[in-house]
Amino acid sequence: MSTVLPPPKGVFDEMLFDASTPRPAYGSYHQWLAKVAEQELRAKRSEAELLFQRVGITFAVYGEEEGAERLIPFDFVPRIIPAEEWRLLEAGLRQRVAALNAFLKDIYNEQAIIKAGIVPADNVLCNAQYQIAMRGIQLFRDTYAHIAGIDLIRHSDGKYYVLEDNLRVPSGVSYMLENRKMMMRLFPDLFADHRIAPVEHYPNLLLKTLRESSPVEDPTVVVLTPGRYNSAYFEHAFLAREMGVTLVEGQDLFIKNEKLFMRTTTGPRQIDVIYRRLDDAFLDPLAFRSDSMLGVPGLLSVYRAGNVILSNAIGTGVADDKSMYPHVPDMVKFYLGEEPILHNVPTWCLRKPEDFAYVDAHLSELVVKEVHGAGGYGMLVGPAATKDEVEHFRGLIRSNPQNYIAQPTLSLSTCPTLVDEGIAPRHIDLRPFVLSGKETRIVPGGLTRVALKKGSLVVNSSQGGGTKDTWVLMDDSTDAGTNSKEPAPC
Amino acid sequence: MRLHIHHTTSYRYETSVAHSTQYLRLTPNDSARQKILSWDLRLPAAASRTLDAYGNVMHVITVDYPHQDIVIEAEGFVEVDDCAMEKADTLSPLLFLRSTPLTAIDNTLATFALPFASIAKEFPRDAAWQLMMRLREHMAFQAGETDACTNAADAFSKKQGVCQDFSHVYLACAHAIGLPARYVSGYLYTQDTEHVASHAWVEVAIDDYWWGLDIANGIEAGHHHLKLAVGMDYLEACPVRGMRNGGGSETMVANAFVKSMDQ
Repeated sequence: MSTVLPPPKGVFDEMLFDASTPRPAYGSYHQWLAKVAEQELRAKRSEAELLFQRVGITFAVYGEEEGAERLIPFDFVPRIIPAEEWRLLEAGLRQRVAALNAFLKDIYNEQAIIKAGIVPADNVLCNAQYQIAMRGIQLFRDTYAHIAGIDLIRHSDGKYYVLEDNLRVPSGVSYMLENRKMMMRLFPDLFADHRIAPVEHYPNLLLKTLRESSPVEDPTVVVLTPGRYNSAYFEHAFLAREMGVTLVEGQDLFIKNEKLFMRTTTGPRQIDVIYRRLDDAFLDPLAFRSDSMLGVPGLLSVYRAGNVILSNAIGTGVADDKSMYPHVPDMVKFYLGEEPILHNVPTWCLRKPEDFAYVDAHLSELVVKEVHGAGGYGMLVGPAATKDEVEHFRGLIRSNPQNYIAQPTLSLSTCPTLVDEGIAPRHIDLRPFVLSGKETRIVPGGLTRVALKKGSLVVNSSQGGGTKDTWVLMDDSTDAGTNSKEPAPC
Repeated sequence: MRLHIHHTTSYRYETSVAHSTQYLRLTPNDSARQKILSWDLRLPAAASRTLDAYGNVMHVITVDYPHQDIVIEAEGFVEVDDCAMEKADTLSPLLFLRSTPLTAIDNTLATFALPFASIAKEFPRDAAWQLMMRLREHMAFQAGETDACTNAADAFSKKQGVCQDFSHVYLACAHAIGLPARYVSGYLYTQDTEHVASHAWVEVAIDDYWWGLDIANGIEAGHHHLKLAVGMDYLEACPVRGMRNGGGSETMVANAFVKSMDQ
């Protein structure tokens, strides 16, 4: 008999309405859980850990001893998303990524959104992520971010909100795939009892998207990794293997006569598409950081000549920057003429006097972030801060308001999770992956990350976060066939 | 002024190099201020010609046979107008407020630049000129004290450097006080023919124009200055930027001669 501990008050729990009633999507899972002994579940978890270790699904942890690798904790209580909820999310994701790609095309070319006064010029052009190297070139299909990871959370009002767009090199999809494999292996009965939308075809869809990103008829695709010391190396190798393409490092490639080649035992082979898992700054030591040993000298010249596709394009980071985030709903309206389906977290830009006045008056209730900060640095969480900390931050924002944005404090939804105290509520987020090729493809669900510490809102794997399998349930109107039955490319 | 340029760059490596790739920004653009009468490159391998994002003419060469030296030669005739102002191109000057590792500001530089910040808002041209003059009081032209990797802050604290250092320091300060400015690589004609003619200066955006200022010499960049390329710093505009596999240490010899054809 396993009991699920009740969620805290004022938080949306994915499984439970109240202390004990399951939501409809969790009905049969909740019944199943009630019948299984907690000990059996703990045994399953040990089995999963052993299997993951054997597969080698680990991530390197920076700052620990050389080559230290760790398992990302896997929790087997799935996050279940009902079919109609997913349909709305999927439509919203398509719309948002279409707008972000249109924005990128625009700001590297005509700059209509700047001329229309919707996004301030300096916000775009003075942004360090805006890459001058992207000026004066046209991209095939006008696609800049072929692969996007959109981080969503569900607030206590039951609505989903976009927390962050990831348009550079979003990672985590290998965990989505391995988690599903593990769940099917550990709990085959559950998959017989539920109609769960498949995700296993993601590598096929990724390869299809990469192939479609090139005008070449039968393009050669490679995955470019910074190497085995990168924290996501497992994922690079995993995706290359699943797609059946070569995993390369910069030193395996060279350019000649405006083309990019890979050194092989049978001589040079021309490369048409690079799925690069390397930041812009490291791609070409002759154009960006000259100390980069990870890139390919001359790559930018081949790229600008249109003879190789980089997935994602250079300079996509300007669109997923915190300072650009508040403008995404405007992008949807401006480029698509539609109302945004996905909500943004309301954001105050302190460079606007009226926003500043509001934030200054409500500082202790808000989260204030540095525009270009990352990783939780330079941040004030009002409700958790002392009076002195709030006053210190007030000094900072008053002296340099344009450097800050503010948002209300959101409560992430919880999902029951097996921890030491039992099956207890833990906060989660969701990162679906959006693939933009000839058409937009999204496997149902994505990666659910969970903060394993009680009350914690930090889901990052580097800070003790874990992952869960994400189930999108199918109903009779779910078009399950279109994606999953696509044939694998030859 | 009609100029004849002859520029040879040779690299000699300690051991054999298997593979090398170079970006060359060694061909001046035809523009309102400079008319290219003829220009030739002599290169060790077939080159592809392209424009980089700044509009500079760029040649890319890959030498993929074992080699122990590379010689790159440029020669041509150019007519340069005595005009230091040039109409801004398609790139917004706002792009030229960013800094790079070579032009990054530090506290000392920021303190030095601060007095010019208020003038820069109202009279950017005066601020740009005064900043140059003040900088020349602080730094002395001295070869051999800095190298291609010296950043603005280091050159400033040494109080000496070459044209490249003067330009980097100036760019760091200009950006800090809100003046868009960029690095220019090119040739300088002087009557002293022994002087290396490769040169660097800056351009500051004033209204719709780029204003050429030769910081190391404290003058406007006029008809003695032939522009080769612009960029955010030396690395983005330099005539030859290359990477190689193997070769050990290298010796580089650059000779650039600029002669006046006017009598």
